[in-house]
Amino acid sequence: MSNKPNLSRRNFLGRAAAVGAVGAISPALITSCAPKSKGKAVEYTLSTLLDKAPDGPELKAGLIGCGGRGTGAAMNFLSAGPNLKITALADLLPDRLAEARAKLTNDWKQEISDENCFVGFDAYEKLLQTNVDVVILATPPYFRPIHFEAAVQARKHCFLEKPVAVDPVGARSIMASAKKAEAMELSVITGTQRRHQRDYIEIYKKVAGGDIGEITGGNVYWNQSKLWHTNPKAEWSEMEAMIRNWVNWTWLSGDHIVEQHVHNIDVGLWFMGAHPVKALGFGSRQRRITGDQYDNFSVDYVFEDGRHLHSMCRQINGCGGGVFERFQGAEGAALLNGNNIKLVDLTGKDIWTYPYIVNAQGEKSIAVGPYDQEHIDLVTAIRNNKPINEAENCAISTLVGIMGRISAYTGKEVTFDEMMNSDLNIGPKTYVLGPVPDVSKTVPVPGEAATE
Amino acid sequence: MKRVWILFVPGVITGIVLLLIGNKAVEATSSDKFCNSCHIHPQAELSWKKSVHYETQSGYRTHCVDCHLPPQGHGYLPEKARTGLRDLWSYWFKDSASFNWDAKSKLDYAKGYVFESTCLKCHPNLYPAKLTKEGSDAHLYYDAQVKKGEDIRCINCHLNAGHYDPNYTHKANEGFGKEIVSGEVFTESTKVDKFESFVEKIPKTGVSFKMIAIPGGTFKMGSPDNEPYRKPDEGPVKEVKISPFYMAEIEVSWNEYLAFYAQTARQGKTAVKTDLNTVTSVDAIVGATPPYGQPDQNWGKGKRPVISASFNAAQTYCKWLSIVTGKTYRLPTEAEWEYAARAGKETPYFFEGNPKTFVKSKFLSSRKDTTMINRFVVYKENSQAKTQEPSFVLPNPFGLKNMLGNVAEFCSDWYSPDTYSKYPGVVEDPKGPVSGTEHVVRGGSYKSQADQVRSAVREATQTQSWLRTDPQSPKSIWWYSDCFYVGFRVVCEYDASTGRR
Repeated sequence: MSNKPNLSRRNFLGRAAAVGAVGAISPALITSCAPKSKGKAVEYTLSTLLDKAPDGPELKAGLIGCGGRGTGAAMNFLSAGPNLKITALADLLPDRLAEARAKLTNDWKQEISDENCFVGFDAYEKLLQTNVDVVILATPPYFRPIHFEAAVQARKHCFLEKPVAVDPVGARSIMASAKKAEAMELSVITGTQRRHQRDYIEIYKKVAGGDIGEITGGNVYWNQSKLWHTNPKAEWSEMEAMIRNWVNWTWLSGDHIVEQHVHNIDVGLWFMGAHPVKALGFGSRQRRITGDQYDNFSVDYVFEDGRHLHSMCRQINGCGGGVFERFQGAEGAALLNGNNIKLVDLTGKDIWTYPYIVNAQGEKSIAVGPYDQEHIDLVTAIRNNKPINEAENCAISTLVGIMGRISAYTGKEVTFDEMMNSDLNIGPKTYVLGPVPDVSKTVPVPGEAATE
Repeated sequence: MKRVWILFVPGVITGIVLLLIGNKAVEATSSDKFCNSCHIHPQAELSWKKSVHYETQSGYRTHCVDCHLPPQGHGYLPEKARTGLRDLWSYWFKDSASFNWDAKSKLDYAKGYVFESTCLKCHPNLYPAKLTKEGSDAHLYYDAQVKKGEDIRCINCHLNAGHYDPNYTHKANEGFGKEIVSGEVFTESTKVDKFESFVEKIPKTGVSFKMIAIPGGTFKMGSPDNEPYRKPDEGPVKEVKISPFYMAEIEVSWNEYLAFYAQTARQGKTAVKTDLNTVTSVDAIVGATPPYGQPDQNWGKGKRPVISASFNAAQTYCKWLSIVTGKTYRLPTEAEWEYAARAGKETPYFFEGNPKTFVKSKFLSSRKDTTMINRFVVYKENSQAKTQEPSFVLPNPFGLKNMLGNVAEFCSDWYSPDTYSKYPGVVEDPKGPVSGTEHVVRGGSYKSQADQVRSAVREATQTQSWLRTDPQSPKSIWWYSDCFYVGFRVVCEYDASTGRR
């Protein structure tokens, strides 16, 4: 690795310090992967790794987006430590809100009054006017930039589920709101939870400490069977049908390379210590039955210093699978695969394995799961008044996913600078529960047909 | 021992007194009053009082030294000493009436005495809560450029923050260029049936311009090794044969360009590039979007050359002009351009004179005779830091004006420093390298010293830095935000539509 990324990072820190973003410098940028001397202890400041958040004055949270993941995130928040409450809910659809409310009331003994439950496209605005301290943003990703911007204006700490955008305009909006949040010393955690997963953090420290030499390249994978889909019903408008089936529509989810695979891409950027400058990818739609998304992508990402990161994702039944990352170092490799995270030397022999907790059945686990850990870290940051802000990093990882998608859709090489300058906004102009005339519903086909 | 004390105590006291006086002196000479007592350009104080920095939203009054000196601890005193000496020198030895305040308020000059560190000292947070989407995009871009080490300043966009300028705009300029040239409206273009100079008329407008018939011939392209100020890319000299063509007497004027703009401009900022190879009708040309800011720099339009128009805009203009006139207009090749500029001469300029005589010395005011160059060229020493109308100069032997100076001109060739060495023996109508990243720019401008307006001088477009300040995303393909010294000139092919049989 050249010195250049180091220098520019220092410049960044210099300026960040100059602009006086007190204690709000994105910590993951401090800890990059440029290996120092081998075996050197590396500080990793993003996660506190506490088992529970410290006690403190009551923190009230509002949930925007009451689907499965939103409800799950609300429960993770409630179990992060003492004195935490969910006091307000917002969703487009009343039935989804009612389900979440029932679950949080019955199983988690939360008291959520009628006047703190809001439905409709503007429900988030009303929720932000209640006296919540924290908001959990878990709607389909298309709406994240709009909701985050409003949440920052309302001075709320945030949990942002990943991905944080579906197009370049949205990703830049997140970046700008992240900077505003930084200046206001708000804490923002994103749902790229591997950065809060103890075995990932430990192996990251080893890799950044130089235990396998300089990282020369990597591979990231999310290959699995198809996700869920929801068939439209006669009584639903087109908008409602799309939103209830959002993981199959690009304008809502960003396509699965962004929606799901962003986890692995984010790990790639974290371990490589930079973002790629260009992408050339391909993909197609073979088996998906609803929506307009592809169901497989393969993207070659190239970094400024010439290193490559290969990304591969698929959602097709009956195929080989696997969700993992692998990084090649000059003196070994890091393998991040399920509960089997380890470093190997160049012959494949184990150098180090994570000390998992093993139960009587031989099943391995870590002390605190990442979904809980990210909320423990959020509450700890708020209560210790040490703001952390992951939104910009997550926006960059999201934008890199978008870059891969656009390359596959168009067949062209796409650069990060193009993404930073693109005015592509793939959503509709207005939000109503009715027809959705102004978004693309056709599956993109790259290249040109051959002629005689 | 006692003697030492006798010297030491008064020494310390004197030192302290001097320091106190020094401090007082620094304070006294840093007041707004003190600054304004010598800075005799009246508009500086008035425009400062009208600016947002005079009465800020937080109630603070920003003083002269707050912006025009770096903050304490960032080289405040050395800079104060430097500017102080410079100002004293100017005050005693220069005639303030000769200062071009207008030019000094432009970005290029302002960079020298507005300090980025002072901007950032008072504005540490570039992302205040009320920042708009456009502002956020611009500041993200600024951050990215700073990270890359590019020269971008706050004043690239906020040039009028300290001194109010009623004509300064830094926003989409929807109303730009709406003025219409009055007078006779032409119904058709000029018919040309033999190879001689003609006046082209742009149909449906009152705009006309003169095209000069340039006879074919052979000339030596490039400059000999011994030419003063020669650069390596000007050689080796090659024999080049040029076919007859027509060339515009003057650089494309605002009148001419705005005729195109009025007929083709599209609202909205989505950039659509027309495939010029396939266009056959005016309707198919997607013209320029409105500019951002003030592309004419408030120097006036009319017969002054168009500036800020991008290379893409120039090419699209030529295509449009071809369609509305039924002829074949295009940008000149680099060889045609130099052939026309030399007008048969192998000397540095088409007129008599040595560049060494014309280049002004940095330290001593020149008593050299610059009569010749002043007659033919708008350049640094006579331009008043802006473009001039064609009547300012006399034509070259072909009858062409401002080939050298005023604005530099696009050529159709890709730029390469070794273009000439790739040409074998005598070449006929060469078109430059087959591919490249930037295009050739020739002729120097109102900003150039005499050495830069020699016929052989070669330059290239700088797409990225010419768009540095453009805060739009994506950046305009029609208007350069940071380049005001380049325009273009059209040539017309000598073909069946222009009298060739």
